Amino acid sequence: MSSTTDTRPARRLTVTGLVTAALLLTAVYGVFFGAPEDADQGIIQKIFYFHVAIAMVALLAFLVAAIEGIRYLRERDPRHDEIGSICVGIGLAFSILVVITGSIWAKASWGTWWVWTDPRLVTFVIVLLLYAAYFVLRSSADGERQARYSAIYSVAAFASVPLSFYSVRVARSFVHPVVFNQQGANMPDSMLWWFVVGQIAMIGVFLTILQLELIQRRADRALRRVKARLEAAA
Amino acid sequence: MNEYVTAAYGVILFALLLYVVVVGLRSARLAREAELLARLVEREEAERDGETDLAAR
Amino acid sequence: MRPVWSRQLRALLLKDLRLELRTRDTIVAMVLFSVVAMMIFQFAVGSSGDDLTDVAGGILWATLALTAVLGVGRSWVPEREQRVLDGILVAPIPRLVLLVSKVGAIYAYLLVVEIIAVPLAALFFIRHGQAGDLLLVAGVCLLANLGIAVLGSLLACLALFARARELLLPVLFLPSLLPVVIAAAGATHAVAGGTNDLAEYRGYLLFLGVYAVIFGLVAYATYDHVFDD
Repeated sequence: MSSTTDTRPARRLTVTGLVTAALLLTAVYGVFFGAPEDADQGIIQKIFYFHVAIAMVALLAFLVAAIEGIRYLRERDPRHDEIGSICVGIGLAFSILVVITGSIWAKASWGTWWVWTDPRLVTFVIVLLLYAAYFVLRSSADGERQARYSAIYSVAAFASVPLSFYSVRVARSFVHPVVFNQQGANMPDSMLWWFVVGQIAMIGVFLTILQLELIQRRADRALRRVKARLEAAA
Repeated sequence: MNEYVTAAYGVILFALLLYVVVVGLRSARLAREAELLARLVEREEAERDGETDLAAR
Repeated sequence: MRPVWSRQLRALLLKDLRLELRTRDTIVAMVLFSVVAMMIFQFAVGSSGDDLTDVAGGILWATLALTAVLGVGRSWVPEREQRVLDGILVAPIPRLVLLVSKVGAIYAYLLVVEIIAVPLAALFFIRHGQAGDLLLVAGVCLLANLGIAVLGSLLACLALFARARELLLPVLFLPSLLPVVIAAAGATHAVAGGTNDLAEYRGYLLFLGVYAVIFGLVAYATYDHVFDD
C-alpha cells in the first residue's frame, strides 16, 4: 500500500508550518511596529489583533467540525469523525484563549476582570460549555455510535453559537439601546492590513495543528495495529 | 497598560509552547512503544532463528 | 380519511400521555421539583425580605430550565425500560413521527408544570402584579416550550444509552438552553410586575420563535441518524 511511504502529509505540514511561522512573525512585528496606536484605547487595542483572530479561527474550527459531522452522517467515513473531533479540540483550546485574552482586555479597558454585557465574551463562555460537553458525550460512547453522536451534536452545538450570541445581544440592546460599534468596521487601512495578516497567520496555526494531530493519530493507529498483530501471534 | 498587552501576548505564546510540550510527550510515548515493539520483533526473530538452527542440526 | 402518519402520531402521543397519566411519576416529580427549586432561589437570594419582582422572571425560567432537563431525561425511559424501542423501530412508523410524538409529550409535561409554577412564581415573588400579565407570560411559555421540547428530545436520545445518563443530559442540554433562558426570562421580566414593555416582549418572543425553528431544522436534519442502530 502506498500509504506506508506516503510523505505527502509530512510535506504539507512542513509547508504549512513554515508559512505560518513566517506569517506569525510578520504579524507580531506589524502589530507592534507597523500599525499605528489607537487614538481612543491606546496600546491595549493591540490585544485585539490576536484576540479577534483567535476568536474567528475558533468559530471556523467549530464550523469545520459541524461540516465534517454532516459529511460523516452522509458517508460514514471515520476520517470525517477524526477531523471533526480534532477541530472541536482546537476550537475549544482557542476559545479558552479568547476568554482569557478577552478578560485581560476587559480589565485593561474597564477595570474589571469580567463583564456580562459583552455578547462576544459571554458567547465564548457558552461555547466553552457547549464544546466541553462534546467531549463528555464522546467519552460516553464507543466506536460507531461515538462518531455518529459526535457528528449530530457538533451540528446542534454550532447552531447554538449564533443563537447564544444574539440572545445576549438582544437582551443587552433593551438595556442599552445604543448599537454596539464594531471595532473592525471602522479601522484605518494601516491597522486593517495587519489585522488581516494576523488573521491569516492564525488560520495557518489552525491548519498546522490540525495536520500535526492527524499525523500523530495515524502513527498511533499504526503502532496499535502492529501491537495487535504481535499480541495475536504470541 | 503595557503589562496587559504583554500579558495577553504572553498567554498566547505560553499556550503555543504548552502545545509543543504536549506534542513532545506524545512523540516520546510513540517512540517508547515503537522501541518496545522493535525489541519484541527482534527477540521473536532471534527465537525463531534459534529454533531453525536446532531443527537444522 | 386522515393520513397514516397522523394516526400513528396520535397513537404514539396518546400512548405516552396515557402511560404518564396512569403512573404520574414524571409530572408529579417535575412539579414538586419546580416548586422546591423556586424556594431554593428564594432562600438563596431573597431571605432578607427583598423585593424579588425584578428577578422573578429569571427565577421562573431558571427553575423551568432545570425542570425541563429532568423531564426530558424521563421522556424516553418507557421505551428504554421496556425494550419497546426496538419494536417501534422495526414497525413501519417513520422515525420522524416517533420524534414528534416525544416532542409533543415533553411539551405537554412542561405545560402542566407551568400551569402550576407560573402562578406560584407570581405569588411568591411579584409584589404588584396584574392578573392579565399571566396571559402574556403564558405566551412566553407556549413558545419557549417548543424550542425546549425539540432540542430536549434530540439530546435525550444522544444520552439514552450512556452510562452516566443522569449527568450527561444536563451537561449536553443546559448550555444549549441558555439562549432560551435569556430570552424567556427577558420576555417575562418585560411584562411581569406591572411594567408592560410590549416591544421588548415581542422582540424576545421573536427570538424564541427563531430558536424553535432553527432547532426544529437541526432535529429534522439529524433525527434519522440518531436511531441508526
